[in-house]
Amino acid sequence: MEDDDPSFATETLDPALQKKHHDMLERLSARHQARKSDSPDTSSSSSTLESTSSFLAKFSDARRSIESRIAESRFVSSSSASSSTDPSKHKSDLADISVAINDLEKLLAENSYFLPSYEVRSSLKMVSDLKQSLESLSAELIPKKKFSFKSKSTNKKPEPKLPEIQKPDVVSPPNFLVPVRDSPGLRNKHGETLVKSFKGSSIGEFTLSDLDSCQVQLTGTVNALFLHRLKNCNVYTGPVIGSILIDDVEDCVLVLASHQIRIHCARKSDFYLRVRSRPIIEDSNGVRFAPYCLDYKGIEEDLKTAGLDEETNNWANVDDFRWLRAVQSPNWSVLPGEERVSSVSISSNADS
Amino acid sequence: MGLLSIIRKIKKKEKEMRILMVGLDNSGKTTIVLKINGEDTSVISPTLGFNIKTIVYQKYTLNIWDVGGQKTIRSYWRNYFEQTDGLVWVVDSSDLRRLDDCKMELDNLLKEERLAGSSLLILANKQDIQGALTPDEIGKVLNLESMDKSRHWKIVGCSAYTGEGLLEGFDWLVQDIASRIYMLD
Repeated sequence: MEDDDPSFATETLDPALQKKHHDMLERLSARHQARKSDSPDTSSSSSTLESTSSFLAKFSDARRSIESRIAESRFVSSSSASSSTDPSKHKSDLADISVAINDLEKLLAENSYFLPSYEVRSSLKMVSDLKQSLESLSAELIPKKKFSFKSKSTNKKPEPKLPEIQKPDVVSPPNFLVPVRDSPGLRNKHGETLVKSFKGSSIGEFTLSDLDSCQVQLTGTVNALFLHRLKNCNVYTGPVIGSILIDDVEDCVLVLASHQIRIHCARKSDFYLRVRSRPIIEDSNGVRFAPYCLDYKGIEEDLKTAGLDEETNNWANVDDFRWLRAVQSPNWSVLPGEERVSSVSISSNADS
Repeated sequence: MGLLSIIRKIKKKEKEMRILMVGLDNSGKTTIVLKINGEDTSVISPTLGFNIKTIVYQKYTLNIWDVGGQKTIRSYWRNYFEQTDGLVWVVDSSDLRRLDDCKMELDNLLKEERLAGSSLLILANKQDIQGALTPDEIGKVLNLESMDKSRHWKIVGCSAYTGEGLLEGFDWLVQDIASRIYMLD
């Protein structure tokens, strides 16, 4: 501890201590010298400059040097006949440039905490431009065949250190360890009339997804129904025993009956519902509601099976999760009587 | 006397457990709670906010917090994390499309420090529906095996519609919490 205090050391007469003290002073002055000589040009990799202008000066110096090296490599390759150029020379050049770009990026990262956000953004842009031009350079210099593999595996992978051995490590990992099967349903149709009867089938859940300009008629009962990404469709369904989950529909007319109905992300659509509980909407707008109006042979029986044989008037008790206030939500309304379709009759025995 | 032993003593007197039910919307949380309480499950509206049910189960009093799962209100789940003894994560096993969402939300929940000590029961609900994934399949999709080793967890298939599997799940949950908090009295 006493070594820290030089005045204390001089007063002691112990020669060993004095020697120690002397050594320490030397060490301190050496360190001071080192620091002084270090400060004007800090080493490029681990330094924070604490001043925007000095950072910008340093940054643009480094950038210019990289740019000139890229230009040089390009010039060398174009001036000499392509057959005579040495590929390994190119590779090492490219790798060097890539390292320089990485250093530049590191410098930016280390100093980003005090830089104005505009400078950070524009510097980032410059770094990515450099990477781009390095990539295009490597595309020119390295034989085409190998590059084509690279462009397939990653469209824009930074740090092309050794462009010829791009590892395909960016293959997205499989989401699921088990293959998730598709549930029964109607998917990816355009402009068709789709008819399905659940009578006598053992189907428990059914999905309508990615339909455009279709008319869908589902008769009989099912336990769960999922509607996903429907556009400009008319959907008429028999009663669902459990719940209906709707996500992303636009310009649709949906005639549905169920215990529960949840509507997410619906736009400009009309719902004719019979529900035992309160229907809900979330992230929707321009949706209108009216009572269920479907008819097919045997619907009375199906409604009874699903416990929906009586009108509950819940079709108008809509809860909007995006509008938790006492006043009426602007996202939905009751469909005026004169705009409602009259009863819709569909055939019950057709099956696709 | 340490704080932990004081808390244990208080809890012992009351024999109360706080259970938090969460999961995506449409997974059947409210239906499960009403079903184990022997109530009518035929008219249940999607939960806007939350419900609390106090149920006497074996010799314990369960305070079950059933919190709505709609996307808009999931961010409020964290308001209910404090002092949770048991966490019930409910999965709609027939909703194959949203299993990614389900996994993501569960993973987020398990990162929560305030829930670190709670027992986790995963209910693979809607097993009555033809085509639903089995509890094993759900367990694989949710990658439960990779969970933190210190977590007490179990996955049980159930149907809130028929009631099947619910008692098995809650029996395990209550026993597990009891053995942690009440030291198997």
